[in-house]
Amino acid sequence: MARRQLQFDNWHLVWFKGLIYVLLILYAAVTLIPFLWALSASFKPLSEIVSGEINFFPRHFTLENYRQVFLREPLFLRWFFNSAIVAISVTASNLLFNSMAGYALARLQFRGRGFWFFLVLAVLAIPIQVTLIPTFLILKSFGWLNSYQGAIVPSMVNATFIFMMRQFFVNFPQELEEAAQLDGLNRFEIFWQIVLPLAKPALAAQAVFVFMSSWNNFLLPIVILFEPEMFTLPLGLNTFKGQYISYWNYIMAASMVFTLPALGIYAFFNRYFIEGIALSGSKK
Amino acid sequence: MKKEWLNFVFLAILVALLLIGCWNFVLAPASDKQMPVSIRLGGWGASPAEQTLLRQVLQDFEAKYPDIKVKHEIIADQYMDVIKTRLIGEAAPDVFYLDISEAPFLMSQNVLEPLDPYLTPEFDLADFATPLLESFRYRERLYGLPKDYSTLALFYNKQAFAAAGLTAPPRTWEELLTYAKQLTVDLNQDGRIDQYGCGVLPDLARQVYKIEAFGGQLVDSNGYAAFATEAALQGLQLLVDQYRLDRSSALPSDLGTNSVDEMFGRGKVAMIITGNWTIPYLNETFPDLEFGAAEVPSINNKPGTMLFTVAYVMNKQAEHKAEAWQLISYLTGKEGMQKWTSTGFALPTRQSVLAALGYARDPLRAPLIAGIDYATPWQGGKNLSIVATNFNNQLLSTMLGEQPLKQAMVRAQESANRQIRANE
Amino acid sequence: MAPSILVLGTFAIAPIFYALFLSFQKVQLLGGIEYQFAGWRNFARLVEDDRLGIALRNTAEYVAIVVPTQTILALILAVTLNAGIKGKNWWRIIYFLPTVTSSAVLTLIFMWIYNTDGLLNHFLAFWGLPTYNWLGDPAVALKGIMLMNIWSTAPFFMVIYLAALQDIPKSLYEAAALDGANQWEQFFCITLPLLKPVTFFVVAIGVIGTFQLFDQSYIFSGGTGGPNNATLTIVLLIYQAVFRDLQMGYAAAIAFLLAAIIISITLIQRQFLGSEKFD
Repeated sequence: MARRQLQFDNWHLVWFKGLIYVLLILYAAVTLIPFLWALSASFKPLSEIVSGEINFFPRHFTLENYRQVFLREPLFLRWFFNSAIVAISVTASNLLFNSMAGYALARLQFRGRGFWFFLVLAVLAIPIQVTLIPTFLILKSFGWLNSYQGAIVPSMVNATFIFMMRQFFVNFPQELEEAAQLDGLNRFEIFWQIVLPLAKPALAAQAVFVFMSSWNNFLLPIVILFEPEMFTLPLGLNTFKGQYISYWNYIMAASMVFTLPALGIYAFFNRYFIEGIALSGSKK
Repeated sequence: MKKEWLNFVFLAILVALLLIGCWNFVLAPASDKQMPVSIRLGGWGASPAEQTLLRQVLQDFEAKYPDIKVKHEIIADQYMDVIKTRLIGEAAPDVFYLDISEAPFLMSQNVLEPLDPYLTPEFDLADFATPLLESFRYRERLYGLPKDYSTLALFYNKQAFAAAGLTAPPRTWEELLTYAKQLTVDLNQDGRIDQYGCGVLPDLARQVYKIEAFGGQLVDSNGYAAFATEAALQGLQLLVDQYRLDRSSALPSDLGTNSVDEMFGRGKVAMIITGNWTIPYLNETFPDLEFGAAEVPSINNKPGTMLFTVAYVMNKQAEHKAEAWQLISYLTGKEGMQKWTSTGFALPTRQSVLAALGYARDPLRAPLIAGIDYATPWQGGKNLSIVATNFNNQLLSTMLGEQPLKQAMVRAQESANRQIRANE
Repeated sequence: MAPSILVLGTFAIAPIFYALFLSFQKVQLLGGIEYQFAGWRNFARLVEDDRLGIALRNTAEYVAIVVPTQTILALILAVTLNAGIKGKNWWRIIYFLPTVTSSAVLTLIFMWIYNTDGLLNHFLAFWGLPTYNWLGDPAVALKGIMLMNIWSTAPFFMVIYLAALQDIPKSLYEAAALDGANQWEQFFCITLPLLKPVTFFVVAIGVIGTFQLFDQSYIFSGGTGGPNNATLTIVLLIYQAVFRDLQMGYAAAIAFLLAAIIISITLIQRQFLGSEKFD
């Protein structure tokens, strides 16, 4: 009886695994095909993109789009540098501040904790379209328009990820922290030495998202950064949209190279989603 | 592991702060008073070739006026939103582009500098085409100098006309409708139409002349929407009937395209009504296409078309107004305008430059130039954006057959006027 | 903690209080800012504006379909990728592509997929299914936007779930396996309950993101919300009020209505998913 059950399970498992791989491949097609098409479009002349044909391989392969976007644009490196500075500073400060704030909301017993959580929600719920003009006026009063501070400081903390970190910390076993407390560690030491290392997967996810959102950020930068020398990549690379006609070939080429760093950061942090427990040692 | 993280975070913050610090340090001496005056010029993006051309014109200006430096600021997207935000924050460019449709609103808001005091006899204001200047006048004052313009003309595919046995473009709207039926064909007999007669855009910006063809009007003298009248509907009905009943026209989205220009270039439609910007686009993107241009066919025996233009305006808050005027007067002066319009991206607004460049003899541009005498400027008071939003929203649903034109237009008009009243 | 309060205070909370102040004013923004006390007039306007009702209905339909679909899809993807699959890293990178792709490219990609002669219709026709004018037909325009949004945001939530799955101690599964629980039982009795706080986050952020739908409907309709208001959303109304009409007071009033809806839904959701810690 037990033997038959086991055989059934094996047979069941093979089918199940096969099914999973089929589904994996199908979904991969759904995510990959549009991306590959966009990639191939970046090597096509405009006439071929707008011809509306569903051809994957460019019939008139050209590097002209890339040449136009990168070689003929004297400021390209400068824009890349600006984007990198802004994205790296924003990511670093977010990792630090969001984690601290999230931890405080999850653990510390201070007055008005519920109120702060409510406020974080309220910040998230108000759309940026309403706060854009006030933010602009505030930055203007600080004299921070058209500057790195202006692009970085308003994004140094992000309510979404304070909320996310809180949700992760809430799930952590408290026993470990209690033990550490008995060992004489104070709150900050516990946070640095015990809690943060445990939160590595969440921190990695946060790093990817914050970097990406800063890298792609458009609405605030386009309003506050005036001079071409201060542009971040999305501002600089988006100037191929005319009043009546959009030059999709250049937009595609620009977007492809623009996407790569974000993808690279993801690929790098990706390993932290796989590790986790094994590295952070005995937990619970 | 934890140490690494910590170090990374702190190092990154430190580096960032240092860089910011250094940057300010480097930038500070740059704003020294000894330097030439710099003027900020704001505009939207364009094709690389057009951007290069503008850059050259600006370099020529700087060579001629060495003590003025131009900082060209391109606003890549949502141009008017960004300009309005910066105007509110008193941080807008000194000189910037202003589209004809947005002019009445901004002129009424006391944020633009009137240009009349700066005009000199040498500048020769009379050289500009009158309807263009009138579009930038508000309460007897001139606020903008048009840099270029275009009307709409009928562009037709010569190969398609020849295949249908048509020898000349239509001159009246009745002819256009007849031709369009003949040009709507299923070339490969697969039961699906491969070529439509007309490509149309149900967008108010392209339709006001139809509203006016039978005596209708877009807005009344108080700026309220007034297009739901029998006279106005009669003109719009032409557009709707051709699409719904004749089925001889197509919308860009019907054919998987982004614009009428694209439909035309791909040979999916044989006629479109569009402006000068289409000519360089078609030549560059569809070099094999043979096309001609003619004036927009007359409706109700009256000629009609739309007038689009963009002006340079001066910010009232500009710090160096004299220099800002130097820039405007160079760009819209005879020399600068000739350079800017010489390659055909745009039509000059000065009669003398137009004559010098000989565009009136260019068969593709002559109909566009002829149109200026009877064109309807793309304006509708300071509430045009509300009117247009509601109009476009409802006209499209009529085109899709969801509701009769009259009902849609009454809805659009009421909704627009409710919003205008509430805003007051 | 202090710096985050300072930054949040200056750049997130101050603008909100400013907006709250504005919602009771009639504001002249251009040519020198002027305020004029308007009492409850901006809020009274909410009741009269019939477009608001339409926008609310569209948005609610959108939220009701997109949030559950993207949450479940993200969970399935994460659990699958977390199981013993060969080439994990590659799958994860491929699946994440829609989220890194910039919105300009997304738009063009979807124009290509959705056009009447495009990939999706070819696919549907191949299987003998009806085809649609995805971009032009108001009956399906919102559905098209939904599909696009699910496709591009599911990977975002997938990554959050993946990160959360790493924090579930393996020992729990080992113990459950010893007790004779099969994989499904393990999933429902260990994985799901332990993911509760993260699911609360995913659903809450999903609700916020979908209620704030703007980009796609702006691009698809050219900012009008048409045809016949089929793609009108609340944030599109706010956008029109702020940038087209410069009616900051009214825009702020709509925004507070939106915030009230989002916060109430989140609080109700909290009752079900409970953000309380697991023990």
